[in-house]
Amino acid sequence: MSAVKSIFRNPPLLTFVLVALVWLIAGLTLRGFGAYGHLRYLLELAAVIGIAAAGQTLVILMGGIDLSVGAIITVTAILLPLISPAWDPTGLVGIALALAIATGIGFLNGAGAAYLRVPPIIMTLAMATFLQGLLVVVAGGSAVTVSNPAVILLGQGRPLGVPSGVLLWIVVSAVVLALIHRMPIGARFLAIGANPLAARLSGVSLTRNTLILYALSGFFAGLAGILVLGMNRQGYVGIGDPYLLTSIAAVVLGGTSILGGRGTYAGTIPGAILLVTTTALITVVNASPGWRSIMFGTLILALLLVSGREARR
Amino acid sequence: MMDQKPLLEARQVFKGFFGNPVLKGVDIALRPGRVHALLGENGAGKSTLINLLSGALQPDSGTIAVDGKPVGRFSPAAARASGIAVVQQELSLTADLSIAENIGLGAFPRRFGLIDYAELHRGVRDVCAMVGLTEPLDMPVADLALGRRQMVEIAKALYRKPRVLILDEPTSSLSAHEAGILAGLIETLRDRGTALLYISHRLNEVQALCSHVTVLKDGGVTADQSLSGIDGEGLVRLMVGRETGDLFPPRASANPGALRVEVEGFSAGLVRDIGFSGRAGEIVGIGGLVGQGQEDLLLGLYGAIPAKAAKAEVSSKPGLPANVGAANAAGLVYVPADRKHEGLVLPHSIASNLILPSLGRLARNGFRDRAGEAGLIAELAKRLTIKGDVARPVQALSGGNQQKVALAKWLPLDPSVLLLNDPTRGVDIETKREIYLMLRGFAAEGRLVIIASSDTPELVHLCDRVVVLREGRVAAELAGEAISEEAIVGAAMGIDRKGAAA
Repeated sequence: MSAVKSIFRNPPLLTFVLVALVWLIAGLTLRGFGAYGHLRYLLELAAVIGIAAAGQTLVILMGGIDLSVGAIITVTAILLPLISPAWDPTGLVGIALALAIATGIGFLNGAGAAYLRVPPIIMTLAMATFLQGLLVVVAGGSAVTVSNPAVILLGQGRPLGVPSGVLLWIVVSAVVLALIHRMPIGARFLAIGANPLAARLSGVSLTRNTLILYALSGFFAGLAGILVLGMNRQGYVGIGDPYLLTSIAAVVLGGTSILGGRGTYAGTIPGAILLVTTTALITVVNASPGWRSIMFGTLILALLLVSGREARR
Repeated sequence: MMDQKPLLEARQVFKGFFGNPVLKGVDIALRPGRVHALLGENGAGKSTLINLLSGALQPDSGTIAVDGKPVGRFSPAAARASGIAVVQQELSLTADLSIAENIGLGAFPRRFGLIDYAELHRGVRDVCAMVGLTEPLDMPVADLALGRRQMVEIAKALYRKPRVLILDEPTSSLSAHEAGILAGLIETLRDRGTALLYISHRLNEVQALCSHVTVLKDGGVTADQSLSGIDGEGLVRLMVGRETGDLFPPRASANPGALRVEVEGFSAGLVRDIGFSGRAGEIVGIGGLVGQGQEDLLLGLYGAIPAKAAKAEVSSKPGLPANVGAANAAGLVYVPADRKHEGLVLPHSIASNLILPSLGRLARNGFRDRAGEAGLIAELAKRLTIKGDVARPVQALSGGNQQKVALAKWLPLDPSVLLLNDPTRGVDIETKREIYLMLRGFAAEGRLVIIASSDTPELVHLCDRVVVLREGRVAAELAGEAISEEAIVGAAMGIDRKGAAA
């Protein structure tokens, strides 16, 4: 009894248990769901959401939100093939450049929020719109095929049978968890998210932390963009769109307060897996895309009621 | 008067939260035409008792009786219908609504289903006149200073024409002038036959206004008696249950050291072009009516709001701190008046709050040193006698203990200048004494303590020097024997006195 209670008090654990239950039931009832290949595929898809949601988790913990995650993924996926220099056989230079651009975009978001005092929701939404327009101008709406070997390795490689995207996600998870729980900056993010005024008067710099935070969010979105590009082998306008809502949903499903100040990336990880699983289950049901979308929205709402319940303050 | 039937009574009420008994068989009877004082340290159960009397909580056992008749399920709506109004310590106003709308909220006069503003303003004008609110009635409450908002809160209670009025620390944010108006108002209501319950930590107010007292200690009633013939010391004795000696620690012989803060032509927020200085080992008080720039002076020195000065030297460095980080680095720390919104991260644990300013200093190679942090937290909790599990959220603590956390978190920085904004507001008398002793100790260690306070006795008995602000300028600077309640209040009100330089 008390074990059940402690699960309900621990949102990340609750979400993990939910994922396990869904996998178990679906694995027993749906043919093919429980196959190793299928589960591996689900994790591979979850990795993209999980990496994009890494930055989103940090931003939401600090009481902000980043609506430019999808646009930054698209920008990275389209620009990377265009800017990867031909003289570099490894392709790492192109990756570094693309990540620098993504981080720079995030930094601009942070600068707008910190210096111009534009609310993050407006700043990042405006940035997303701006980037989408810019891409249409630059790429002209056609898909770009990637030949960068490092990106293809990341998207298609399976060292020891594990997709490299999943390995990347594990590394990202370790870094983000350490940042939140083992480094001073994580404690500062949380303090700002819960009470920015008290945090500022306690000597926590809002400007500095806002800049770092949105730059990090841009970086992780860029990383997710590279992974998506590698998995699809081509980038096109709109490739990052699905990841905006899913990155936010994964964070909230993991029990992180949308108001900031409370939560952890440990919840976002099962949150991302749960989202992907839900999508997979809906695909099994033979329904038109419109109905699938309606079912997906309804299910997210229902899942939130179970796992991501907001404690009233 | 005394044999009149009580309007509102609690009879042998018990109330506990999560197994901890808070009230253990409390009786209280509010009679018409009497101002009844409710005293007790923070955590003694005063708030719980008020919540029972106003229907916000239900007693576990015992009864609440209105007009001598026990009521079964007492709800806030039933309490309002019985003519019971409460002025809460925490303001419950809606910032964006006007004064009139706030006062009428929940009891709007209606016409054809819409708010009858003409009727509303008529009623509101009457109660505003009673509390001395002269601001336009359609002014948003957000534009009012804290003290004026408190008056709106009182007007809101009066608008419902209560038979029983409960005032929970109504003067904690009021200026001396406003407190005077309130005192007159309380006497008028008493003479009209209203039953009043008055909760305050300021004993001189209690003595001046109240005729009967109930003292709570650890959830039980330790005194329920007439106030006649009891002096201040007697009251304190009733509350603490033992001899207390003086509330204020003895003043050490003033022995100021090096200049720690010196500004000339200093302006910040409401503060206009003033000179100010403080030396190591001094306690400097900043007095004045509410909202005359006391807070802006502290925040300006702390780098938290834009400030400029013709000449400035802080901690032997020229210029004002550019931001809070620079101020901390220069050894300045600030404890805000509004600890719930500015001082503490309420939902987070006591431990996280205590460690927040020291995070960077304790980190090793960019990672937090958990063992070091735990050691420091334990040491701070012990030094400030913060009891219990430090993993609890800080909002679970009483006001006095919250204030201790807000102060304690700065100690690891070994500050040379402490800026304190009303550090004893809403703090029980025992914690007050602890805080005063601590501040004296800081001064003796050679730190400069600058304390803005709305509590005049505090300025008189604690401070070596008092600067009185009026409309953002220095109205008087008092030192040593010249510091008296009369001198401070006089200067604050703008009355010319001997030795008060404008």
